[in-house]
Amino acid sequence: MTDSTTASAPKPSSSVKLVLLGEAAVGKSSLVLRFVNNDFQPNKEPTIGAAFLTQKCQLPSRTIKFEIWDTAGQERFASLAPMYYRNAQSALVVYDITKPSSLVKAKHWVAELQRQASPGIVIALVGNKLDLCDDDSPEDDAQDGENVDGHEEEAVRKVSTAEAKAYADEESLLFYETSAKTGHNVSEVFTAIANAIPETSLKGPRGGAGGGTQAAISGGGGQDSSRVNLNARGDAGAKEGCAC
Amino acid sequence: MVGDFLKDCHVANDPLDQSKGQKQEIQDVDSFSRANRLAMKKSALIAGSLSRSGKRILHLDPNEYYGGAEAALSLAEAESWASRCAEATDTAVFSHASITKPPPSGEKKLLSSRAYSLALAPHLIYAKSNTVPALVSSQCHNQLDFQAVGSWFVLDSASNAQSGLIRVPSSREDVFQDTALSLKAKRGLMKFLRFVANFEEQTETWHDSKDTPFPAFLEQKFALPAASHGPILALTMSTAPSSTTSTGYALPRIAQHLRSIGIFGPGFGAVLPKWGGLAEIAQVACRAGAVGGGVYVLNKAIKEATKSEEDNRITLKLSDAEQVSTTWLCGSAETMQTISPAPDASSGSSATVSRSISVISSPLSALFPSTSEGGVTPAGAVVVVPSSNNDGPPVHILVHTSEAGECPMNQCVAYASVALSSDVGYAQIDQAIANMLSNFDQEPTPEVLWRLQYQQRIPAATDGAVLMDGSFISLPAMAGDLVLADSVLNGVQQAWQSITNEDENMFMKFTSRSEMEDEE
Repeated sequence: MTDSTTASAPKPSSSVKLVLLGEAAVGKSSLVLRFVNNDFQPNKEPTIGAAFLTQKCQLPSRTIKFEIWDTAGQERFASLAPMYYRNAQSALVVYDITKPSSLVKAKHWVAELQRQASPGIVIALVGNKLDLCDDDSPEDDAQDGENVDGHEEEAVRKVSTAEAKAYADEESLLFYETSAKTGHNVSEVFTAIANAIPETSLKGPRGGAGGGTQAAISGGGGQDSSRVNLNARGDAGAKEGCAC
Repeated sequence: MVGDFLKDCHVANDPLDQSKGQKQEIQDVDSFSRANRLAMKKSALIAGSLSRSGKRILHLDPNEYYGGAEAALSLAEAESWASRCAEATDTAVFSHASITKPPPSGEKKLLSSRAYSLALAPHLIYAKSNTVPALVSSQCHNQLDFQAVGSWFVLDSASNAQSGLIRVPSSREDVFQDTALSLKAKRGLMKFLRFVANFEEQTETWHDSKDTPFPAFLEQKFALPAASHGPILALTMSTAPSSTTSTGYALPRIAQHLRSIGIFGPGFGAVLPKWGGLAEIAQVACRAGAVGGGVYVLNKAIKEATKSEEDNRITLKLSDAEQVSTTWLCGSAETMQTISPAPDASSGSSATVSRSISVISSPLSALFPSTSEGGVTPAGAVVVVPSSNNDGPPVHILVHTSEAGECPMNQCVAYASVALSSDVGYAQIDQAIANMLSNFDQEPTPEVLWRLQYQQRIPAATDGAVLMDGSFISLPAMAGDLVLADSVLNGVQQAWQSITNEDENMFMKFTSRSEMEDEE
């Protein structure tokens, strides 16, 4: 995992909000579970509402702490996602490479993010379930807990790498094909997102020169000098005010 | 659509059951047991707290965005908001809204719409308040960023520009170093500050004077000359004229200000939620509610609510003609009045406040001096502009730096308000903003790049109170106070207890679930 190396000297640390979007049963929660716990559940139940997880990602020059909001793909009202992508610095839009309709849905999410989310949000397009198309892993039962119908027959690739890659390039998205089941490319996606967040945006507020309006990062560490820690309650000379 | 959802959930029940004891399967399509109609921050908090208390929540919002009357808006959203409010009648919560975009004279320009997140409710939250412990115990603070409101200023409109902006001394050191105060005034001020520190125990000094106008009290009991009242009054954040700000109102508020200082760090006591004020708290509460299994629907309103005599359940007719059945219905007083037979709560008198939101072409850095060496950088400042003839209400200007996430770098946002209706209020606000900007001797001169002005109707004296009629719960709109009052959360708690019958000690206490735990 990306966080296995421990830095000897403290590196600057920043939090990055990340939202997962995509059609039901494409494996959003499984990708997060693989990234956060290096684990995989073959018959994972659908996410209800949303889930929140955190995981650190060590880069050579800094530590990125992902605050991950995993949303329910089966959400009916499209009312949930706006509260998660608001102020998010990054988004992971997932589709299932064996299901073309899930790429259509992913494109809708990308369009909505480009229209509504923070300008400058880093978006990664991820085609999941690569294991279903590998010759050496024939069984296809595992990945798809959410889809009660299951796949008919041996699932095969229905979305070509070239097609998805061309779309991702056109929209300036990061692009990976992954398998949450085998772990293939999972940490790479998150590392790529961490690397794609501009260093400047980790310090300052949104805005900046030339209208580059990357949303600000709220530093979890000492990076953000304006952040107040509510847990500091009771410390630090509470007398200063009332003793005068 | 809601019906579809329920049926689908019911259908999905079996796989859910197999996988593991999921928290909240829907047992019966027809008994979606708690639907709550919610549109604002209090509602969001209630929905969040109920959702995490195991209740089934349906959160409906007629708007396309979260937060209702406390939302945070991009420029484009603010423009459509303003055009809706411009058509509203005087009895609506928001009315008389308009947007001005003076052609920029300098190089500084507005950036893209979404570079802004302008707060309809940029309230201050004091460290010594009930909100802060609730945010911590509910784990919501992990999702929120708070920033310091550093300095208070009084803008003396009578004196010439340049020296007109006076920083309020907020500590003993400040008072000693203040060269503008006479020795006598310093002594009186010190005596007063010592008194406020534990004024509750010194009833003999103030109890008889609790209805006395505060300036008279300062003069009589502490021999403080009128010239020194401005800074002290500024700390009360009273929106009323000084002549009607009573001693009994002012003392606890000054005490709250002073006692809050130092709790979160040296030199400041109030914080603001980053990214758009109370809107952010509402959003975080909604996220918590969704994690608890609540269902969130935007863009859908309730047309009608009828209660069955037989089983006491409420049937809601939604804007798309769908029907939902619920045990409780909870919402803002404004909406509840239009849809339910609940008693007309706010038929009493109400007050109006004029407000404006201005995007300023300069960071106005002089308003945000560091409050201590090595401490946090303040992101907020308060500028109080007393009425020029002293018997009108003051204009309050809350200024947020770009660090607050509401505007791009090298700009700032000024939220101004005065407790007057728009016909006279707007002019006073404009004058106050112009006076403030004229105090910045810099090139190019700071100017207003964009301004939204609107009138807000404030219900009288129902702040925080929850009105209930059987299973209808009505949450009054927030008061005109610029400080988030403890009564807001008390109202939420009252509603929560009515619905859950749980012990008050459990309110907003959510254990950190394994998912939310950090490895740290």
